Amino acid sequence: MEIPRVGPNGSGMSVTIADNRDVTTSSDSPATLAIDVDDVRFAYGDTLAVDDVSFTVAPGQILGFLGPNGAGKSTTIKMLTGQLRPDTGKISILGMDMPGQREQIQGRLGVCFEEKNLYLSMTGSENLVFFAKLFGIQGFKPEPLMERVGLSTRLDDRVSEYSKGMRQRLMVARALLNTPDVLLLDEPTAALDPVSAIGVRDIIREEAARGAAVLLTTHDMHEADDLSDHVAFINQGKILTIDTPENLKLTHGTRSVRIRARHGADIEEEVIPLDEEGAEDRIRDAVSTEGLLTIHTEEATLEDIFVEYAGRGLT
Amino acid sequence: MSGARIVAIMGKDLREFARNRFFVFITLLVLVAYVAIFWFLPDSVDETVHIGVSGTVLNTDVGGVTDGGTAGFALEVYPSEEELRAAVEEGRGDIVAGIAFPPDFLASVAAGEKPTVRLLIPAGLPAEVRLLLQGAVDEVAFSIAGSPPPVDPITEAIVLGTDRAGAQVSMQQQMRPLLLIMVLMVEVFALSSLVAIEVQERTAVAVLATPVRIVDFLAAKGIFGIILAFVEAALLGILIGAFAVNAPAVIVILLLGALIVTGFAMISGSYGKDFMGTLMISMLFMIPLMIPAFAALFPGSTPGWVKIIPTYGLVDAMIRITVDGAGWSDIAPALLMLAGWGLAAFGAGALVLRRRVATL
Repeated sequence: MEIPRVGPNGSGMSVTIADNRDVTTSSDSPATLAIDVDDVRFAYGDTLAVDDVSFTVAPGQILGFLGPNGAGKSTTIKMLTGQLRPDTGKISILGMDMPGQREQIQGRLGVCFEEKNLYLSMTGSENLVFFAKLFGIQGFKPEPLMERVGLSTRLDDRVSEYSKGMRQRLMVARALLNTPDVLLLDEPTAALDPVSAIGVRDIIREEAARGAAVLLTTHDMHEADDLSDHVAFINQGKILTIDTPENLKLTHGTRSVRIRARHGADIEEEVIPLDEEGAEDRIRDAVSTEGLLTIHTEEATLEDIFVEYAGRGLT
Repeated sequence: MSGARIVAIMGKDLREFARNRFFVFITLLVLVAYVAIFWFLPDSVDETVHIGVSGTVLNTDVGGVTDGGTAGFALEVYPSEEELRAAVEEGRGDIVAGIAFPPDFLASVAAGEKPTVRLLIPAGLPAEVRLLLQGAVDEVAFSIAGSPPPVDPITEAIVLGTDRAGAQVSMQQQMRPLLLIMVLMVEVFALSSLVAIEVQERTAVAVLATPVRIVDFLAAKGIFGIILAFVEAALLGILIGAFAVNAPAVIVILLLGALIVTGFAMISGSYGKDFMGTLMISMLFMIPLMIPAFAALFPGSTPGWVKIIPTYGLVDAMIRITVDGAGWSDIAPALLMLAGWGLAAFGAGALVLRRRVATL
């Protein structure tokens, strides 16, 4: 089963879909891949958390990992950070073996964890300076990063005094302090207000534009749609499909428009399939109607498509 | 291992410790309180046991036994058994107990009979003093009748340090190892809390997602714990005069003690879910570890199993040095045992913490 994929920079990826048949449309050689996960499996005791997962991410690409809680997203990230060792399979990051060359890889890795694992008794800048020391960064100045995530006025406040959203932004700043080649972001906009979420999404785009490979796990289909060059649906430890959001929506969506118009005291709604004969005339008539209220396309959302694949929703 | 990363983690731990008001308060409080307790305790020992006596026996010369000037045994005479009983009950005149001889005691003993002598013993009187009183009665009987008193059975007892019979140890000297161990124990809780926070807040995961290796992380926790415990114990030691004799040996003892408590702190910190949980698990280690020091307060009452407690070597070596002025060769067995326990406890702590962090 081949799933067509078109990345923004021409990169592709290989994937093992639910029936475990390998699908490859990649034009990247392994040497140019930032993340290369090959047939990885991990179990917590008798519970299989990640089941023969394969995917790749090229530099400058954002891969959105979409799945409900317990799907295997965080376990996959833990294997990529070296916290967990795969039971079987191979993980290569920047051409190096994880966990075999863990230390070298981690120096070029930026990780934003789902949990807010910051030192609460230390200030925001102290947190960043401490982690910069662990990365061996000499003469690190936290101010530019704090400004980038909108925390420049809270540099010297203890993290215990930060709001949830501020802590999340500091987590993002911490993930960026070593100018990573690979960014692993686990729910990076969770707990953020809409304005802050937009700011963080802009940062993620900037990092990808700089050339960083980004793996983004999220529940938020709109975020995945907005940010990702490709999205992977993961459920019960298996990757169900990987494709660009656009292709998924085109492939699985309904080509139709929904038109709402007022007729006297009543509001009428009409769905016009675009592939139906005479659709063009019907739309033209509807648009010229005096009481026209709204016109919406009826393309499928990523959530609809996820349900189609997984038989369940994202939440 | 990376020295720079270890130093960075230790610096962070020190900052967290210094900013935790509870840790700082407890550390300072313990230091001040223990120093105050130490200097409040008597630094000399009154080896004279005051005993009240009633009865006609004192009108007769029975040798040194009834001589009030005899070292270690002063008799105070009361005209009647009733007044003696009241004096013992009220603890008048430092009297620890009383011996009430019957009016016909001298005649009965001289006739070879066995008169009844009442020992007036307050509740809580140590068994040793009770035996002393019985012995005193026998001695009086022996002096009068000229026949030997019965021989008491010998009981086996373990004496921490040297048996101080005839050369008593002051309360200050007895309390010194206890205070040093107690201050080390306080650091068990402080360090285990720091470890618990690192585990519970999962900051350890963030640290280990950087080029820091697990051995760097464990080394940083271990070294910081040892330094924290040692510095506080050494500070207390200076203030209570623990370094007056054989200071290098005392430093080694405290370092090994710090190694032991750091190991236990890493274990309790690994499994403490919250403040109370960490406190409870810490107490599980702290209480047994303090037993040898408490046992040192009551020489001769220590059961054999106390010797297997990891801190026994610390107490034994500390008493030998500070009380007896022992040298390196005298404390070598205790130091070896202490070092063995230190390595075992630290190794176990590092292993447990490593496993705990790996499962986060």
